[in-house]
Amino acid sequence: MSVVQAILGLLSWFALAYFAFLAGLYTWFTLVAWRTLAALRRARAYAPLDEIYASPFAPGVSMLLPAYNEEAGVVASATSLLALRYPRHEVIVINDGSTDGTLQQLQEAFDLVPVREALRSRIPAKPLHGAYVSRRHRNLWVLDKENGGKADALNAGINAASHPYFCAVDADAILEDDSLLRIVKPVIDDPDGLVAAAGIIRIANGATISGGRMLDFRLPRSRLATMQVVEYFRAFLVGRIGWDSLGALLVVSGAFGLFRRSAVEEVGGYALGTVGEDIELVVRLQARLRERHAKFRIAFVPEPTCWTEAPEDLKTLSTQRRRWQRGLGETLWRHRRMMANPRYGAVGLLALPYFLVAEFLGSVIEVFGIFIVVAAVATGAVTVSALLAYTAVSMLIWILLSFSAILLEEYAIRRYVHGRDIAKMVLYSLSESIGYRQLNAFWRCQAMVDLARRRKGWGTMPRRGLERPTEAPPGRMTRV
Amino acid sequence: MSLMVAVSACFMALSFALLTTLALRHAVLGRRDQHTADAERRMRPLAIGLMEDGDPVPDLSQADQRALATVMGRYSRKVSGGTSERIGGYFREGGGLAAELEGMRSRRAWRRAAAAYALGDMACPEVVPMLAAALEDRNDEVRAAAVRSLGRLRDPTVTETLVESLVAHRVPRGMAGAALLQLGSDAVPELRRIAAHEDAAVRQVAMTVLGLVGDSGDADVALVALRDPAADVRAAAARALARIGTGSAEPALREALGDPEHFVRAHAARALGAIGAYTAVPRLVEIARTDRFKPARAAAQAVAAIDPETLVAEAAGPDAGAHLHEAADLALI
Amino acid sequence: MSASGGDQPVILAADDDEDILQLVAFRLGRSGYRVLQAHDGEEALALATEHEPDLAVLDVGMPKLDGFEVVRRLRAQESTRAMPIIMLTARAQDTDVEEGFDAGANDYLRKPFSPQELKARVQAMLARR
Repeated sequence: MSVVQAILGLLSWFALAYFAFLAGLYTWFTLVAWRTLAALRRARAYAPLDEIYASPFAPGVSMLLPAYNEEAGVVASATSLLALRYPRHEVIVINDGSTDGTLQQLQEAFDLVPVREALRSRIPAKPLHGAYVSRRHRNLWVLDKENGGKADALNAGINAASHPYFCAVDADAILEDDSLLRIVKPVIDDPDGLVAAAGIIRIANGATISGGRMLDFRLPRSRLATMQVVEYFRAFLVGRIGWDSLGALLVVSGAFGLFRRSAVEEVGGYALGTVGEDIELVVRLQARLRERHAKFRIAFVPEPTCWTEAPEDLKTLSTQRRRWQRGLGETLWRHRRMMANPRYGAVGLLALPYFLVAEFLGSVIEVFGIFIVVAAVATGAVTVSALLAYTAVSMLIWILLSFSAILLEEYAIRRYVHGRDIAKMVLYSLSESIGYRQLNAFWRCQAMVDLARRRKGWGTMPRRGLERPTEAPPGRMTRV
Repeated sequence: MSLMVAVSACFMALSFALLTTLALRHAVLGRRDQHTADAERRMRPLAIGLMEDGDPVPDLSQADQRALATVMGRYSRKVSGGTSERIGGYFREGGGLAAELEGMRSRRAWRRAAAAYALGDMACPEVVPMLAAALEDRNDEVRAAAVRSLGRLRDPTVTETLVESLVAHRVPRGMAGAALLQLGSDAVPELRRIAAHEDAAVRQVAMTVLGLVGDSGDADVALVALRDPAADVRAAAARALARIGTGSAEPALREALGDPEHFVRAHAARALGAIGAYTAVPRLVEIARTDRFKPARAAAQAVAAIDPETLVAEAAGPDAGAHLHEAADLALI
Repeated sequence: MSASGGDQPVILAADDDEDILQLVAFRLGRSGYRVLQAHDGEEALALATEHEPDLAVLDVGMPKLDGFEVVRRLRAQESTRAMPIIMLTARAQDTDVEEGFDAGANDYLRKPFSPQELKARVQAMLARR
């Protein structure tokens, strides 16, 4: 056996070990998810939503909606946020220097009146041009500021928030009626310790939406979007529950996440200069709170659902995935001190290394792995039959995990009730391992190149806007 | 090699099993859900007849019985008075009550929690002692469900038990508070008594709830609590006075404007605004100009509530500060 | 005032909760009233404008148009300005009561409510006319 063969053989073993570790971790997470969701299903029999709704003890929540060039859907988003079933909340839209008609749309729809709003200055943010309140909805505020990016917009929103908790929401996201009630439950269970809560993100592309409410849940017509639906099940349902069970949840999605305002103010608000400001904030919270040996909790609540628009063409999807990868890389670099550091508990020892190896570098490993394996076979370091066996087993495991995720969704959450949709998802999960994963890995490698080249910014994400009417609501729509 | 084949075969078998489960479950559950929804719709008129006219319960299939119980449970959360009593009678005679009492003795926590929750919707006041005992259950979800149900059943004799379980951190603060609130004015005598409890946390909760369910006759308790050594109790007292205070509370509240804790000052300012304390306006303006964010904002809004003209005039002056400006702009809308 | 055309007073009941709607319709129907049912604010407004009922029982939190807005609009119309209105709410806040009266409602019932009490108030209010 030549040196080359030996090296290739070794590398192939390494690839196998890497795969085995990933599969093992996800299988473990799947089992945990089963247990958690089974408990959730049973707990529905005693979910005290009505009580929380009617209770003056429910914590006030400020919904922060950063908007940059969102004229297509900002009014509908704000409307649906105002209509959420919750006893005490306000909506703060932050117009981050839009160059389109975002502010005008808001002005017309909500009858805005300028107010010299008093703002806190604990977190630095770009200056405001002005603040407005809606004459019709006194709990709707609009901040008009210089463009500073999403993190800066959120920081300005935090400075204006009047409630002790805030919820960062994406402009194209739609929340379910009860989403706020549910995401607030960990706060009620543990008001002193709860620092952040994450809800679950789902893909709305195929759903019927009217008046800011979800009426019917179907799978998207677009193949790419359907693929993402299946992917989200695996990543969200299984992944987040798993990490939450280890007390190492790192991702509270920017599309829908609840935070205790004072905790975020203490760590300095959202960080500028990174496209992954949501994950960066959570990692920083984990870091500071663990350094202080504080008793805290960052929870994942599998029920409160946020529906977002998923990219339906390859270009937009690749832009999004590259941005995610860049954000992850930037965060990992900023907090490299925490890596494998026992001072940070499960976050430092398990979560961060996982994200580094499997999520960040994993793409490189996968892409190069293919070359290595092919070369190994070509040089005879690995037999063809071994390669076939390995491929078959790995594909089967991923398919199994995907099926499991779909079954979990059907068992516990049950939003997709049409049989045809479930069958379709099963079919798609079969083909996910062939092509989609590899495509993702390729984009992530591109992102590494972006990082090396220090590319910044979000790129353009053309929004179609989900089907929604844009007329303004005539009165307060808070439901009792 | 043959090992790999064996492993692959295993995985394929597992996948097939999962798929079959998925398909079967979906078909079965879908049909069952549809039937349940239909049954509940059919049972509703029956439930109404039961509650309002005292109709007897006819013979029903098992599925229909379950649907009827669900509908009655839903109604129990929405109605009170004689209707509520008839619902209690239905659960007592129909056996639903017995089933849940049995469930309370289950060894599984989720079953106990579901039972504790369901008991709150059966309008049978005799279960209160059992629920009060469940406040000591070792599982937190059972305790939370018990608290919620005690709130539903509105028996004022459990007021102190609820407060104690709250203070001992056996149940989430918010849920115990909500339950106490449901007791409403019936809980007032008990709350007045424990407003002088030796534990500051107890005094704080008592004061908070008293502020929400009491009336101006209870302001005397709040006035005493305004001088409590614990800041949280003082804040709760000030907050209470915003609702139950009258003009006679003004001197004490003005004194509280100088409290060392900023959140007490904020609540005192708010209370003065709610009372309409005209003579406190100059002091409030001063606070709005110079104090920290929370009390300054509260003071500005209080001035807006009491005397909008003065507010606008002061806001136009130099060094008025951001809070007076904001309050003035809002007052003019 | 009322264009009901019969000797039965007409009452409009509006609530997005079907359970409550059916219960109210039953209780008031039994007491000799004709009950129109609406499931949301828009439907309530439309029915009130078209039929000019003798009294309206409105839930506060309805989709499309909430109870307060319906009251405001009814008060703004000549034909329905004087219609007696009772409101229902599930929230425990006092601000609801204030807002209801500010908007123009005549009376207020908190949920959980007693159907007998609702009937008594309806009777009393209609007797005053």
